[in-house]
Amino acid sequence: MTAASDRLAVELGAPSWLVAAWRLTWPPLVTALIVGGGWELLIWALEIPAYYIPAPSRIWQAFWANPGNLMVHAGITLLEAVSGCVIGSLLGAMLGTGFAYSPLLARGLLPYFIAANTIPVVAIAPIIILWFGHGIESKIAVTTFLSFFPLALNMMKGLQSYDRVIMDVFHVAAANPWQRFLKMRLPSALPYVFVGLKINVTFSVIGAIVAEFVQADRGLGFIIMTTYRSLNMPRLWAALFISALIGMVFFGIVNALERLAIPWHSSMRTDV
Amino acid sequence: MSARTAIARGLAPVDAAAPCVRFERVSMVFRGQGGHPDVQALCDIGLTIREREFVSLIGPSGCGKSTLLRIIADLVLPSEGLASINGEPPRRARLGREIGCVFQEPALLEWRRVQDNIALPLELAGVGRDERAARTAELLELVGLKGFERAWPRQLSGGMRQRAAIARALATRPRVLLLDEPFGALDQITRDRLNMELVRICEATRATVLLVTHSIREAVLLSDRVVVMSPRPGRIIADLAIDLPRPRTLLTRDDGRYADLVQRGTSELERGYDGSER
Ligand SMILES: Nc1ncnc2c1ncn2[C@@H]1O[C@H](COP(=O)(O)OP(=O)(O)OP(=O)(O)O)[C@@H](O)[C@H]1O
Ligand SMILES: [Mg+2]
Repeated sequence: MTAASDRLAVELGAPSWLVAAWRLTWPPLVTALIVGGGWELLIWALEIPAYYIPAPSRIWQAFWANPGNLMVHAGITLLEAVSGCVIGSLLGAMLGTGFAYSPLLARGLLPYFIAANTIPVVAIAPIIILWFGHGIESKIAVTTFLSFFPLALNMMKGLQSYDRVIMDVFHVAAANPWQRFLKMRLPSALPYVFVGLKINVTFSVIGAIVAEFVQADRGLGFIIMTTYRSLNMPRLWAALFISALIGMVFFGIVNALERLAIPWHSSMRTDV
Repeated sequence: MSARTAIARGLAPVDAAAPCVRFERVSMVFRGQGGHPDVQALCDIGLTIREREFVSLIGPSGCGKSTLLRIIADLVLPSEGLASINGEPPRRARLGREIGCVFQEPALLEWRRVQDNIALPLELAGVGRDERAARTAELLELVGLKGFERAWPRQLSGGMRQRAAIARALATRPRVLLLDEPFGALDQITRDRLNMELVRICEATRATVLLVTHSIREAVLLSDRVVVMSPRPGRIIADLAIDLPRPRTLLTRDDGRYADLVQRGTSELERGYDGSER
């Protein structure tokens, strides 16, 4: 099927990037069509009420009833997720670097960080919101908190994962500590950094929505809370899908960055 | 290879050259950790290598050959005795970027293309971009990797990776070249070919070479001297002068003296094993 559709695209004179994009998008599109179609049919056939599970067409309608409004709320959640992810990852990377260079610091702090990392976000979010107030800042603080640990731990592991023989190569070539960091330890840490970033992408979207559950007057979490109270389930489901979409786009951006940053890494092979 | 370097290597009286690498009563004991006993790796090593001499080290696995190389590369300090390069501690030579080292594995940086791997020591030494590019082109030519400058290390074969590692070791034109079984993991035919390239490269660079190998044939074919070590704790039990004519080629193996020397080296090695059993 791929080969046939590719040939067709070439005959139609489609540019190569379009062919490549099509090759990536058609399999999930087919999945969406089959699942969505089956879902729609089942709802009609079994006459399931819309507040229980709405049919895709009803969710679609709910979205188009006021698309601008939903998108504004989605934008706020996205802003909270992205800023928290960026700030938390940066701070985490800095602390992880400290851990990698100072075993004493790591031994002194790491147990508490691991303990703090296991606190569920629903438990910590109210406290953070109490501290940072009712605005968007408190939601960013929650996502920052969540993004902090994955990067601190992965950065530490990454910076420690350099090859000992390569270290010897740098030693014999009389490299200074800064060159060792920049040209050896940091590049070998990058694959780990991206593992951490991908965790953070998911965490920070979840974190933003949970924080909005606790207290908010805007954002997708707010929409989900209020529509649930009024049993406007199709609109709730629309918000749900948008939040998933945000996560996907965000993840896609990190994936693209990874391709740019570590094209040499074995996970980036194109032949699989 | 130019005829002049061949003459300089083959015909100049070796004794006239100044001592370059020197071990004096060097011993190495690795302190055991967590209840493990201490390991004595080297025992009372005395060895002098002259400027531009090609010396091979041969001995059973674990006898301390890599340790000896690591001492002269200033990667470890000996527990006893002195190591020196041109009468100075190895640290001086290392900081002066006069040491090139090829390890048992290629140890290329997988995030750098071949050309940038080769240029690494120049970059670390603060050499400018243009000069780096010129030198890298030269080195790629020398080790036969032209056309692969933009490849990633994982796209190279094992032999090509080792050649890249050799080019990298040569980048700063070191006076001392340390090679730790550079072709250990390759098949015999590839190995022979790369050995001949190594002869050519070493003659072109005029460095003092210390090569660790497990093959007595390889050692005889390449070297001015073959130093035989005993099983652990490593001692020097023989020091054979290889007076085969230069330039060496694969045809050197047909020389009657070649077989003799291989024979002698082998029996010295075996004598080392017998001695350790007693
Ligand atoms: N860092 C270290 N700590 C403890 N023991 C070591 C260390 N490095 C080497 N040794 C020990 O010293 C001995 C000599 O090791 P070395 O690597 O020099 O041997 P080798 O002659 O190069 O062997 P091979 O031919 O197998 O490479 C070995 O018994 C080894 O276990
Ligand atoms: Mg060794």
